[in-house]
Amino acid sequence: MIYLISALSAGLAGGLVVAVIPENRARLRNFCVLFFSVSAMILSWKVASLVFAGIKIHAAGKIGDISWSLAPDPLGAVFGLIASTLWLFAAVYSIGYMSGKKKQRTYFSFFLISLSITLGVAFSGNMVALYLFYELLTFVTYPLVIHERSPEAVKAGSKYIIYNLSGAGAILIAIIITYSLSGNLDFSGVGTPPILAGCMGSGLNWLLLLYVAGFGVKAAIMPLHRWLPEAMVAPTPVSALLHAVAVVYSGVYGVIRVIYSIFGHDLVKQLQLGSILPWVAAFTILTGVIIATRQDVLKRRLAYHTISQLSYILLGAFTLQPWGLTGAVLHMISYSMLKVILFFCAGIISEQTGETRVSNMGGVGWSLPKTLTAFAIASMGMIGMLPLSTFWSKYYLMRGSADGGIWPLALVFVISGIINALCFIPTVVTAFKERKTAPSRETGSKSAFMLVPTLILAFIAVFIGLWPGSVWPGIQAVINRFF
Amino acid sequence: MTAGLKTNLPVFIVVIPMFVAFMLPTFARRIKWIEGTVAAVKLLGLAAAAWLAHMVLYEKDFPVKYIMGGWPAPWGIELVIGNLAALFILTIAIVSLPVALFARDNLEKEVGPKQRIARFYVLYLLLIGALAGMAITNDLFNVFVLVEVVTLSCCGLVSSRKGHGAAKAAFNYLILATLGSALVLGGIGFIYILTGHLNMEFASAELGRVWQSSPHTVWMALSFLFVGFGVKAALFPLHVWLPDAHSMAPSPASALLSGLAIKGYIISFMKILYVIFGHTLMQEYGIYRILILIGMVAIIIGSLSALLQKRLKRRLAFSTVAQVGYLFLGLGLANKEGLMGTLLYLVSHAVIKSLLFLAAGAVISATGKENIRDLAGVGRKMPIAMGTFTIASLSLIGLPLLSGFIGKWHLVLGSLGAGDILSVAVIIIGSILCAAYLLPIIRIAYFEPAPEADWQDPGLPQKAALILLAAGVVLLGVLPGPFIELAGRAAAELLLIQ
Repeated sequence: MIYLISALSAGLAGGLVVAVIPENRARLRNFCVLFFSVSAMILSWKVASLVFAGIKIHAAGKIGDISWSLAPDPLGAVFGLIASTLWLFAAVYSIGYMSGKKKQRTYFSFFLISLSITLGVAFSGNMVALYLFYELLTFVTYPLVIHERSPEAVKAGSKYIIYNLSGAGAILIAIIITYSLSGNLDFSGVGTPPILAGCMGSGLNWLLLLYVAGFGVKAAIMPLHRWLPEAMVAPTPVSALLHAVAVVYSGVYGVIRVIYSIFGHDLVKQLQLGSILPWVAAFTILTGVIIATRQDVLKRRLAYHTISQLSYILLGAFTLQPWGLTGAVLHMISYSMLKVILFFCAGIISEQTGETRVSNMGGVGWSLPKTLTAFAIASMGMIGMLPLSTFWSKYYLMRGSADGGIWPLALVFVISGIINALCFIPTVVTAFKERKTAPSRETGSKSAFMLVPTLILAFIAVFIGLWPGSVWPGIQAVINRFF
Repeated sequence: MTAGLKTNLPVFIVVIPMFVAFMLPTFARRIKWIEGTVAAVKLLGLAAAAWLAHMVLYEKDFPVKYIMGGWPAPWGIELVIGNLAALFILTIAIVSLPVALFARDNLEKEVGPKQRIARFYVLYLLLIGALAGMAITNDLFNVFVLVEVVTLSCCGLVSSRKGHGAAKAAFNYLILATLGSALVLGGIGFIYILTGHLNMEFASAELGRVWQSSPHTVWMALSFLFVGFGVKAALFPLHVWLPDAHSMAPSPASALLSGLAIKGYIISFMKILYVIFGHTLMQEYGIYRILILIGMVAIIIGSLSALLQKRLKRRLAFSTVAQVGYLFLGLGLANKEGLMGTLLYLVSHAVIKSLLFLAAGAVISATGKENIRDLAGVGRKMPIAMGTFTIASLSLIGLPLLSGFIGKWHLVLGSLGAGDILSVAVIIIGSILCAAYLLPIIRIAYFEPAPEADWQDPGLPQKAALILLAAGVVLLGVLPGPFIELAGRAAAELLLIQ
């Protein structure tokens, strides 16, 4: 329990410490950011290893007559691991990206606090705690979204708040309905049936719809995705970490949680909505990636691509099959790294050359060869090619859809893979088009801070792709928990 | 001695502030003495309220009936010291102490010279005493008298601000409030004619016997009381006086008016509805549906109007209109969770809204700017004022771990219990709208560049007042145990009475 609490509070403590460091003490601040990110990561690795070892970690209490509890289970531990690990990379990258920029104090302070809140989402043990952290996440990431303070950033921020608070409102209603149906909101018990097991009636369709719509806002299910492309006005590390991983994953995590821990896959199978949801996800996958190919601004292209990829995970969860969920969890792990790499590369390109549009990036590859190599590796992953683990996750996702008896869904992954190729290969090719003219711009400490985490992540991504067995125990634990 | 103090405690809670109020003018020139006396009275009041709540919670022989002057009911006046009374008295004490603290340095700016300040304190103590009386009295005529005392002292408090606007707002308020009082008196008169009783329980019993023979008179009584209290509690569409009155009043007075005075009327109305009329009659006359409907409309329209306001205090005032909607909605749900929701929301809103008004007052008097747009960068220059404002805003939006969440939670549970999905949706939409009108203030205050100006946090007592209230908001959210217990028991009692 001590590990759990300290893992949760490391980021918060870091945020408060950074908040009191004066703006001009950059080195001290960078040290603190790294220190607290590293400790949060180590602590959450510790928590996760305890969870995978089957040790129950539990902290609970009551607010009046409403009880909350923190009790990570394998799914939460996987999410916590992804978040805290990538946070460290994003912290290093941020130090490079933000150097020489204004308002670093605010930025890093909220950056670290968001880590705590995200881990709170991952480690919560009942719906009250989940709701608390889910709603807080909107508030603490808001200052990061409007970091530029430009009119369009403020507009994007308002959209962000309105979409996400509406989603949280739907979730709150759904949670209270669940509470009045079952009197229980705890989902951490091992071996206990899902909360609503044994309930019947078509009203459950509406309850599930409320939940999916609520969490679907952060998971960017179409048509609830509109805030995400707008939020790209945020600094690139924020886009990379929050709007491709942490924030959107908390929505995805919530949906998986609702389906497998609240309703249970048996119950969802009986609901009509259960058979519609895979098609909603399939629609989002295809539409998202098609819109992505039409975007010229690289970050917006990546944003629409995120929308598409998140629905891969959701579709895997919606198949209600063990293999489908396996694919979903594996895709959570592998996609997150690749997307962070892509965003990191986009950030390096825009920082070092000033280009944000794909059509102007001709020849960029020659001045930023390492960056574009990482970009190419990640692009291959997005297409689903072999040296990367997305190949495996797609395999399991397709197998899950076939197991569920809806083979056209498997086809969706194939088509989406082809469109992904159309989306990314031209970008890489354009970057290396012409001849080498400009000198290398990958020098200096700023560049190193941004480049090193990108390359390490690319290395890890390839490693997991070649030895997917290294993450297999975690996935196995998640599957055993729910099936 | 202790035993005597204990038995007479409820009366002291009501009478001592009123008694002291009338003594204050005798040393009107020594403002320090006045402040000292008021602070002492408030500290005593807080101690007494806490003691009372403790007794009600943990001693077996509560709720007790206190017989004034040895004349038993139905002839004499009865006071009922139960869970509802303890809850509201505790709320009054919690809110009014920081308000008094805040008023200390603030009044010179907003009210004026010493004699006016002395008058302010007189009205303040009268208001507090009368509100406490509303919570405990079991007598209909007492209710009317106390309603009048509260109304008049509120009008006085509004008009105590320097400048013409306040006088005009106070006059508008006075006209409408007098109309409301007349309606309340009319309603009480009808009940008296029908039943021959002014004691609530006797009147209720008699009403149960006679209502079928004169259903229209009962309907008249009910509608008079509804509209009368509706005007006073600023229920939409009878809220027209509130935005002016609450935004023009000096900040400590706005805090009291929005935080406490309105709640006193709602507590009285709640007692009249549930104790006198009871479930059968309310069902018969369809009051529940009206309450829910008007509550929902008030939430939506109040929030939307708040969204349109450009001035800080007006926005907060319209927010009160919306929040009153929640309270009435809960009254109409007619189940334990709904009533608990109303009571808990009432307590939390009392603390939150007084904090919001005080913080706004501190900001406005430091910057001299009333428009929200002009408050760019205030958050950095006045960390305490804006920090507490932020806490209160998040709580009003309904963030868990802060006080507003618990009330909303129970209101939603109550709506579900009543099978009313629409009101669930309205409650949630209301909190989203609440975010929409409060968060921009915070954004502007923190995230926009500040102009070169010498804005500073207020002095120590005012800071202390803000921090105390903010601590109240957080504590009520984290450890609401006794409040939930009191509210739960009070709700159960109100529903059982019939």
